[in-house]
Amino acid sequence: MTEQEDAMPQQGSSTPPEHIRVVVADDHPMWRDAVARDLADAGFEVLATADDGRSAVARTRATVPDVLVLDLNLPGLTGAEVCAALAAAQVPTRILILSASGDHQDVLDAVKAGALGYLVKSAGREEFLAAVRATAAGEPVFTAGLAGLVLGEFRRVKAAGGGSPERPIPELTDRETEILKYVATGMGYKEIAATLFLSHRTVQNHVQNIFGKLQMHNRVELVRFAMERGLDLADPT
Amino acid sequence: MAAMRSGAGQDHTGEPGGPGSAVTPASVPSPPALPYADGSSVAASTKAVLDDEHVVVRGLWRAVDVFRWLALAYAVWAAWERHEQIAHLALGVAVLGVLAGWTLAVTLRPVRTVRAYAIELAIGCSAILATRLVDDPEVITAGAKTIPSIWPTAAVVGFAVLRGWRGGLAAASVVAACSFVEVVEPTPNTITNSIFGLLLGGCIGYCVDLARSSHAALAEAMRLDAARAERDRLARTVHDGVLQTLAFINRRASDLGGEAARLGAMAGEQERILRTLVSQADLAEVGRAVSGDADLRGLLRHVEDDDVQLVSPADAVLLPRRVADEVVAAVEAALDNVRQHAGDDARAWVLLDDAGDEVAVTIRDSGRGVPTGRLAEAVAQGRLGVSSSILGRLADLGGTATVTSGPAGGTTVEMRIPNRRTAGSASRHHGRQPDRRAERRAVDGTDGRGAS
Repeated sequence: MTEQEDAMPQQGSSTPPEHIRVVVADDHPMWRDAVARDLADAGFEVLATADDGRSAVARTRATVPDVLVLDLNLPGLTGAEVCAALAAAQVPTRILILSASGDHQDVLDAVKAGALGYLVKSAGREEFLAAVRATAAGEPVFTAGLAGLVLGEFRRVKAAGGGSPERPIPELTDRETEILKYVATGMGYKEIAATLFLSHRTVQNHVQNIFGKLQMHNRVELVRFAMERGLDLADPT
Repeated sequence: MAAMRSGAGQDHTGEPGGPGSAVTPASVPSPPALPYADGSSVAASTKAVLDDEHVVVRGLWRAVDVFRWLALAYAVWAAWERHEQIAHLALGVAVLGVLAGWTLAVTLRPVRTVRAYAIELAIGCSAILATRLVDDPEVITAGAKTIPSIWPTAAVVGFAVLRGWRGGLAAASVVAACSFVEVVEPTPNTITNSIFGLLLGGCIGYCVDLARSSHAALAEAMRLDAARAERDRLARTVHDGVLQTLAFINRRASDLGGEAARLGAMAGEQERILRTLVSQADLAEVGRAVSGDADLRGLLRHVEDDDVQLVSPADAVLLPRRVADEVVAAVEAALDNVRQHAGDDARAWVLLDDAGDEVAVTIRDSGRGVPTGRLAEAVAQGRLGVSSSILGRLADLGGTATVTSGPAGGTTVEMRIPNRRTAGSASRHHGRQPDRRAERRAVDGTDGRGAS
């Protein structure tokens, strides 16, 4: 998949980079250092780096950065598990998944567990920096590939009956489905806005709603999951 | 066995998915009982199964060896019982001696070949026919046993084991024919014994056929599983090392520019190819072909390149094989059209959307698009390639295809294919959800935290 070209932080440079604080988690020293250096060179503040899942959780909880740049395949915990642990601990840090793998299920799991965006490592440096800015601003970094996965997930949930009766999983509106399909066929927000005669901001709102619905499963399950995985939520080290 | 194998292969010879793509490990009952903890044990047990004849077949061979001795003892006892009526006792003893000699020989040195059993069958039949020389005709007509009695049955079972039900029936027929020749006027015994012989040869042969084919299926499943384990192992290594390095080279080299950027682009290209190659989506699909359904994601993987991206859900997009092939052909036609008309720098996306009762495939390109008024004209002229290769195919499948052009340029072809395999049974997702879920380690939800 070549998803790198249309991650679409078309806005998001509103926050000056020097005020964006980042933690980088990657088990490859080469990558970790390069990403941290790129961020530092571009004026971001790199608070810490981590080389496995547990230290990623611990350092993110300790420093509470604006953005956690998270490799999907860390030793110890998967990307989804790191996201779940941070969500369960109510850490407000936004998470950008950066991965060498195009593995579908992993990416979807991480996004469902709270990651705000996903970028393959083959993305260019500028694109990466823009994605970190967008993530810090709370804008989903959405590739066509990820949109396809998200669309598939809503289809699956709907076909499976929409969750348990007491806490149904929300369905997408027709307009949201339409926008998701546009994103999944490589259209930028601007193009979508032009096609649907909507404002750019409205399209962005729709996309954020889609993410919100995807992640709006209950917290109890998440906390229980984190406990089962032996993640101590009380004690950030 | 060979016939069964090739028969099973016919349905999915074109499957581009996994190696062979015949049987998914999950669909074969036996494999889960086998040790799969690591690659070496899989390899070892696979070898054990592949090298050895099936345990049922081996058991039958031992039974034949024992039966031959029992049959010989019975023949000797039967001859002893009626030795007064035997006209040429010495000759009878000689015949039994030959049978004993053969029995001893194959016990000491078992040979499980058609040739050896043909000799045994010939000896048995000769012994039956020799009864004519040993006994007086009146005694035979009165219903006396033949000298070898049930001894030739061992050869019948041998042929059944060697050549299945056909071999068993053929050998039993030869024995029966000799019995009829020997008695001249068939007695009720002759008829009954012949029918029993035919039943025995046919039934044992049929059981052996079944044992062999299930053995072959098991061996195939184990082979696929070993291949999958090996591929998983390779994929992990590639993910952890090669892909990271290639992506890193690409990234750094594009910063340097010039010649380095070109080298970086090559590394990036290889990274993309390798990532697609080791992506695990199709591994779970190995053998969905058994049910006659095909996963569009796997079938369309080949359309991906630098300019075309396949966007698909995490779950398989299943359509009946025939329908899926038509859809693939239509997508290829649409992409050909993009290449011809959308301009050199146009990119294209192929989106698979499985909405349950219908599957939608959307092909959008970022090219020049078609002025609204001229779209119908282009369709009419067949220039878009949509008239026959896309619209025609979709009509055949009971689906629809629409072509639209966006205000920002670019053409979108949307194909909708009714999915009859799920129509009216949305519960199919329920059916395969639990096992998928069990495989996932990731949590299924979060609290939608948006605060910062």
